[in-house]
Amino acid sequence: MSNKISCSHCHLEFSEDVMIKEDEHYFCCNGCQGVFHLLSDEGLDGFYDKLGNNKLAPPSEQFEDASNFDSPAFYERFVSTNKDGFSEVSLIIEGIHCAACVWLNEKALSGMDGVVATNINYTNNKAKIIWADDSVKLSKIIDMIRAIGYNAYPYDASLQEVKADKERKEYYTRIAVAVFATMNMMTIMVAQYAGYFTGISGNIRHILNIGEWVLATPVLFYSGWPFIRGMYFGIKTHTVNMDTLVATGAILTYIYSIYITLTRSGEAYFDSATMIVTFVLIGKFLEVLSKKGIADTLDVMNHYLPDDVKVIQEKKIVTKNVNDVVVGDIIIVNSGEKVAIDGEIVEGNGSFDESSLTGENEPVFKTVGENIISGAVSIDADIKYKTTKDFANSTMSNIVDLLENAMNNKPKIQQLANQLSEYFSTIILFLSFVTLVGWYIYSSNFEQSFMISIAVIVIACPCALALATPVATLVGLSIASKRGILFKEAAQLETMAHANILLLDKTGTITKGRPEVVKENIILPFRQSLLYSLLLNSKHPIAKGIANYIFSEDLEPLELQSFKNIPSQGISAMFDGKMLAGGNAKLMQTIGISVQSQSDNSEFYFAYDGQLLAKYELFDIPRDDAKEAIEKIRKLGIEIIMLTGDHEQSAKKVAKLVGIEKYASQLTPQDKATYIEKLHQSEKITVMAGDGVNDILALANSDIAIAMGNGSDIAIEVSDVVLLNDTFSSLSDSFKISQRTFTMIKENLVLSFIYNAITIPLAMAGYIIPLIAAISMSVSSLVVVGNSMRIKFGYNSNPS
Amino acid sequence: MSDWVIGMMLGVSIFLGSIAVVALVWAIKKGQFDDSEHFLNAVKFDGEEDLNDAANLERKKEALKKKDYRPE
Repeated sequence: MSNKISCSHCHLEFSEDVMIKEDEHYFCCNGCQGVFHLLSDEGLDGFYDKLGNNKLAPPSEQFEDASNFDSPAFYERFVSTNKDGFSEVSLIIEGIHCAACVWLNEKALSGMDGVVATNINYTNNKAKIIWADDSVKLSKIIDMIRAIGYNAYPYDASLQEVKADKERKEYYTRIAVAVFATMNMMTIMVAQYAGYFTGISGNIRHILNIGEWVLATPVLFYSGWPFIRGMYFGIKTHTVNMDTLVATGAILTYIYSIYITLTRSGEAYFDSATMIVTFVLIGKFLEVLSKKGIADTLDVMNHYLPDDVKVIQEKKIVTKNVNDVVVGDIIIVNSGEKVAIDGEIVEGNGSFDESSLTGENEPVFKTVGENIISGAVSIDADIKYKTTKDFANSTMSNIVDLLENAMNNKPKIQQLANQLSEYFSTIILFLSFVTLVGWYIYSSNFEQSFMISIAVIVIACPCALALATPVATLVGLSIASKRGILFKEAAQLETMAHANILLLDKTGTITKGRPEVVKENIILPFRQSLLYSLLLNSKHPIAKGIANYIFSEDLEPLELQSFKNIPSQGISAMFDGKMLAGGNAKLMQTIGISVQSQSDNSEFYFAYDGQLLAKYELFDIPRDDAKEAIEKIRKLGIEIIMLTGDHEQSAKKVAKLVGIEKYASQLTPQDKATYIEKLHQSEKITVMAGDGVNDILALANSDIAIAMGNGSDIAIEVSDVVLLNDTFSSLSDSFKISQRTFTMIKENLVLSFIYNAITIPLAMAGYIIPLIAAISMSVSSLVVVGNSMRIKFGYNSNPS
Repeated sequence: MSDWVIGMMLGVSIFLGSIAVVALVWAIKKGQFDDSEHFLNAVKFDGEEDLNDAANLERKKEALKKKDYRPE
C-alpha cells in the first residue's frame, strides 16, 4: 500500500499516487486545487491556520448558473430592502463544517465591494447578507461563495421563523425575570416562615413584605403579561380558560397582599402569586419551545427539487426555470440529476431511484414510453423526456402543497388540565361571589365579606392544578430524552397517551432499509477480491449488501477492464481477458449459464469465465428488536398497522416476520395520508412512524409523527417525536413514557381537587388562618411535584 | 440589628440583582445568545485584523450611504 497524504485544502487523506502534486502541495481534486489558489490570491490563506486539523468536504463542481439569483421573481420572493436602502437576503450555506468555514465566508464576502454586512450562524448555517445592489449583484456574491467551495440557497426568513424566534426570545426574557424574582422571593420567604415559629417583629415582617411586593410586581405585570392578555381575550370572547384562572388568581392575590402590607393586618401572599406565574409560564414555554416552523420545513422540501432544468429549444440546450416549462417541452436529465417535472421518456433508458416516492431503495429501470415522476433521481440514466404536466401540477409540487395544508391544519387534542380548568375557574369565581354575598347578608360588613371572598380565590389559587401538567410532562420529557426520545412539544406526551393506532412504514422503519445477505452458497472456491472489485463498481443496494458481507481487510481492489452496468440485470467486467459477471438469473441466462431460481429473496449469482461460482440471497431484514417491541406496544392496547409502498408479497413476508396482522401495500404517499384521514374519521388517534420522504404526507397528517433518527431531514423536520438512537425499543418506550406521564397528570389533578375540596369550604366559612393557608398551599404544590417524580421511579423499577 | 439595616440590605441586593437581570434581558434581545458557538469562536479567532475588517466594513457602509441617494 502506498503512503497516505492529506490534501492541502480539504485535509482528507488519499494515497500519494492519486493526488495532484504541485510544488510542496498535494490536492485530491481540481476543485480543492482551485479553491486553494483562490484563497492564496485573495490573501485568505489564514483560513488554513484556523482550520487546524479539521477536515472539509472537497468542493463539489458547480455548474449551476447563479444568474437566476438576479431575476426579478427571485428578488420579489427573497430579497428585501432595509431602512438604509441596502438589500438583504437570507441564505442557507452548505458545506460549513467548522468555525474556520464561517470565518472564511464572512471574510471573503465582506471583502467584496458593495457588501456591507455578513452574519453567518454556525449552529444552523443560516446567513444574512446585506449589500448595496447598485455596487454588486447578488449573483456575484453567490459566485464568490461557490468559488471558495461552498454553496448557498435562499430561504424565506420573513415568515414563521422570524415570528417564532421573536416569540421564543420574549419567553426567555419573561422567564429570566420571573425566575430571578421567584428565587429571591424564596429567600425572603424562608425568613417569613421561620418567623412564624421563632417570632418576628411586626416591623421586620413589614419590610420583608415590601421587598416581596417589589419583586412580585415585574413578575405579575411583565412575566405574567401573556396570562393577563389571555384573560382579556377570554373575557372578550366569553370563555373561561386556564389563563383566566391564573391571571385572576395572581392579580387578586397581589391586590389582597398589597392591602395586607399597607394595613399591616395579616399575611401577604406575594410568593404564591409569583410562583404560579413562574411555573405556568415555564409550562407554556415548553409548548412553544420547538413548535415546528412550517416555512422552514417547506424550505427544506423545496430544496429537494431543482430550481431549473435543461430544455431543448430549437435544437439547442437552454436552462429554464421550472416554472417557465410548459407541457410538451423536452427536458434532458443526466445521471445524478433530479427530475423536477412529471413526463414520459422519449429517448434513452436507465435506472432511477424513486425512494422519495415509494420508500423502496431498489432502483427502477425505465425506458422509452415509460412515465417518470418528479422527485425521482437518475442513478445512471441519461435521458430525454417530454413533460406531461407543468411544474405546479407535478407529483412533488402536489406533495408540497398537501404537506403545507396538513401542517397548517394539524389536529390538536385539548389537554386534560385545560379542559378541567374551564369548569374549575367558573366554579371558583362563582363560589367566591356566593361567599361575598352570603357574608355581606350575614355580617353587613363589606370589608370583611370582601376579604373572605378574596381569600377563597387565593386559597383556590390553582398552583396544584396549573402545575399538574407541566411538572409531569417535564419529568416525562427528561426521562424520554435520556433514552434518546425527543419530544418536540410537551403537549405531545399527553396526545400520544390517547393514541390507539400505530402505523408503521416498512422499509427503513421496520426493516433496516438495506438488503443483507441471508444465505451464501459457494459452488466453486474463488478469489473473493474478484467479486469485491466487481461489486465496488456498482451503486446498486444489492451490490453494496454483498460487498459489506464479504468485506475483510485482506481484500484488495483489482484493476478491472470494460466495466458494464446492464440495467435490471447486473454488472459485468473483464479481468485477465476473461469475463466476470454478477447479477440475477436473467443475466446468467444471457451469458449462457442456466440457473434455477425459486427463492422469494433477491438473488445474486457470480460467474467467472462462463462458470457459476457462487449464489447469494439477500433480504431487507427487520430490525433486531422490531418483533419484541411490536409485541410490547400491542400489549399496551394499541392496534398496529403496516403501510408500505412495496408490493404485496414482500409486505406480507415482513409483516409475518415481526408479527403484524394488518397491513396495506402498494400505497403512494397520498394513499398513506388518505388511509390516516379515514382513521381520523372514525375518531381514532393515530401515531405514524416513518423515515423517508415518501412518508412525510402521512407523518404530517397523523396526530403524532415519529421519525427514526437516521431518517431523511424532511421526515425529521415534519415529525413530533424523533427516536435519536434509531431503535424499535425506544418506540415502545415512548408509548410507555407517555402513558405513564398521563396517568401522573390525572393523579396530580385528583390530588389538587382533594386539596381544594378541603380548603375551599374552610375559606368560605372564614376559618382560614394564615399559617394553615401558607402551609397548605405549599404542601399541595409539593405533593404534585413529588408525585410527578414517581414517573421516574416507577419507570426505572419497570425497565423495558 | 436595626430595622433599617435589614431594609437597606434587602433593597441593595434586589437592586444589584436586577441590574444583572436587565443586562441578561438586554443581551437576549440583542441576539447575543442566538449562536451558541459565537462567543467561543470570537475568543479563538478575533484578532487585530478582524477588528480592522469590522471597522472597514462600517466605513464602507457609511460611504455607500453618503454616496448614493437611498429612498427610505
